[in-house]
Amino acid sequence: MNPVVYPEPIEAAIARLEAWLRDLGDRHPFPGYTLSPRSLVLLLLQKDPALWEQLQRDEEQCREVEIEIAVAQNQLHQPLELAIAQTRHQQARMLERVALQQPKSGTQPWAETLHQITVNPITGFPILVVILYLGVYKFVGEFGAGELVDRIESFFEGQINPVVDRFVAQTIPWEPIQDLIGNEYGIITLGIRYATAIVLPVVATYFLMFSLLEDSGYLPRLSLMLDRLFKWIGLSGRAVIPMVLGLGCDTMATIVTRTLETKRERLIATFLLSLAVPCAAQWGVILGLLAQKPAALIFWGGFITAIFLGVGYLTAKFLPGASGGFYMEIPPLRLPKIRNILTKTWVRVKWYFWEVLPLFIWASVFIWFGRLTGIFDLIIRAIEPLTLALGMPKESAPIFLYGFFRRDYGAAGLFDLQQQNLLTGNQLVVAAIVLTLFLPCVAQLQMIVKERGMKIAMAMVLFIFPFAFLTGFIVNFGLTQLGINF
Amino acid sequence: MDCHQCHRCDSSPSSRSWWRRWRPAPLESQLRSSEAQIALVGMPNVGKSVLFHALTGVYVTVSNYPGTTVEVSRGLMWVGDRAITAIDTPGMYSAIPMSEEERVARDVLMSEPLAAVVHVVDAKNLGRMLPLAFQLIEAGLPVILAANMMDEAHRLGLDLRTEILAQELGIPVIPMAAALNQGIEELRSAIAQKIPAPSPVTASAV
Amino acid sequence: MNVLSTIEIGQPKTIVGYHTQDATLLRKLVTLGMMPGIEIILEQRFPSYIIKLGHTRTSIDRETAESIFVQ
Repeated sequence: MNPVVYPEPIEAAIARLEAWLRDLGDRHPFPGYTLSPRSLVLLLLQKDPALWEQLQRDEEQCREVEIEIAVAQNQLHQPLELAIAQTRHQQARMLERVALQQPKSGTQPWAETLHQITVNPITGFPILVVILYLGVYKFVGEFGAGELVDRIESFFEGQINPVVDRFVAQTIPWEPIQDLIGNEYGIITLGIRYATAIVLPVVATYFLMFSLLEDSGYLPRLSLMLDRLFKWIGLSGRAVIPMVLGLGCDTMATIVTRTLETKRERLIATFLLSLAVPCAAQWGVILGLLAQKPAALIFWGGFITAIFLGVGYLTAKFLPGASGGFYMEIPPLRLPKIRNILTKTWVRVKWYFWEVLPLFIWASVFIWFGRLTGIFDLIIRAIEPLTLALGMPKESAPIFLYGFFRRDYGAAGLFDLQQQNLLTGNQLVVAAIVLTLFLPCVAQLQMIVKERGMKIAMAMVLFIFPFAFLTGFIVNFGLTQLGINF
Repeated sequence: MDCHQCHRCDSSPSSRSWWRRWRPAPLESQLRSSEAQIALVGMPNVGKSVLFHALTGVYVTVSNYPGTTVEVSRGLMWVGDRAITAIDTPGMYSAIPMSEEERVARDVLMSEPLAAVVHVVDAKNLGRMLPLAFQLIEAGLPVILAANMMDEAHRLGLDLRTEILAQELGIPVIPMAAALNQGIEELRSAIAQKIPAPSPVTASAV
Repeated sequence: MNVLSTIEIGQPKTIVGYHTQDATLLRKLVTLGMMPGIEIILEQRFPSYIIKLGHTRTSIDRETAESIFVQ
């Protein structure tokens, strides 16, 4: 049964091409496809890119179809593709009029008013700032990264680490093995502690907030509010969602850049995600580090935002091509269902945790191995001059090494140093900036390779490392010269 | 057929899905032994992933948020006492893909053997969604129309004449509100009608 | 006949055609339901254009709004 009858010239072309396909027999250009011949022919008439790519292998067949398209097009007063689409839409509207009736008009005054104030520039931008302040700063920053981290951290410090240390000391006679599990860098005392005490609360609270924004329908509104700003850095409002997700987990966000339409946009988005979008674990820890020094926190935030926009602008300038167009459906605002939000958050946190935990454990093992064999000391000594150039104490060298594994791991290391009061305000700011810009975690690097290819991933790595250190160096130099102390 | 037998004598479907959420590994083998496949397709933001969750108990992890399911997910769903594979696809606007993820959705339709294709639409925007339904029907696919978000349509004062739509399109039409768990069982039985009866060989083996 | 980006806010208008050679953009507009003969209402211009079409709202950028003719 054909649900739609197209204008005569198109139907004639369909009939001729269907017959032609049938007669091709085993020279059929699309043998693997289960679609009906009518549907295949219609796709060909609309110049479907994938099918044409296959068809072009046979010049003769290609010409045959092109002739049919030309013949049909000649008899139509609008582009063939549009004629097909319009016929379908007219049919759809007709059917809608019959099947969907509106006996009474219902309205949702609250949803309507809320929609208006969230997208109106005068009220919308303040609302955006308030949502970010409450959701990100207050809830994730102060509650997740402050309150929760403190509690779980002190639970580990007080209840778990001493027990583990004592246990391995009593049961395992060989010191290197003791160090593998407990003590300063052990799998449990360092790896699992970082993952559950520092990273988990931050990420969990962030995902909870993100799910809430998502289910309420606010995210598309955020996209339309920021489209113009994102155009400036070569992206479009569509890229807002991956970027906001990146503030939760850059690895997830890199996967989601697939929803962007052009290769250029996907490239810019991936690059900015890995350079200047800190993941929740990272900025959560940094927020905690700088919480006592609001000026330093604002400086860090402003600086990273400036890098995001500045580097984005330059990348957009130098990469050939134009910004993708923006179009997005704006679904009605809805009251989110608690159950759905909890399920979503739970599933995401679970994904994240299983992604992260092995990496943290591997990092502990690697550090253990590195320290045991002396390789680690060698590397640390090699990067010590670099950390000194940044104005950092040499105790911070290992942190940058951890940063190779995961940026958040590095940030967590920074947290430890700060707890011991080893860093000044300026050093904290510089370290926070370098670690934010630093190469993303190993998982994200893998994802970049998978999504964008080895060449692009390598190019990004080769840019980001020197760039991060150089920026840190400049910031430190600038702050010292200007006599600014945070 | 051992594996086949074991999940038949398993307990109720709800406890099974609970268990599956905790232990993802056996799902793979269950999917291999399932009898048929169905796919959920439709434009972005029509609630495919929520429906997928309601049908299979599997929650699409990473990328599931409006308009951005970027990968195909598979889950096991129960139709009576038969296990079939449900495939959740990224949103597509028309049969001609405009981005990578839409292409993924179309590849599923073009290459997988499907016992049913559930086209999920936003009932209040029926007119805009129907062109895709036409294209699916044109393609000769076994389409079921799931008119989702009926709750929102009702709130707007809209009334859907399901029988007329079903008659005009020549396919089953199921009104539903997946987020509120309404219409799920009706959809399940519509799917059941599309699945070929178990072959005698399978039946005797069980 | 006017370009969508210039029409008055809140007045129902009918799409009459497109002003673009970009095949992808055309495809997009069509799938969003912005077809000749369809009635739309422009709701706002800044920061993005918002268009009401039936029971849906769609947001588009200026370039897209400039490529649609209405009456």
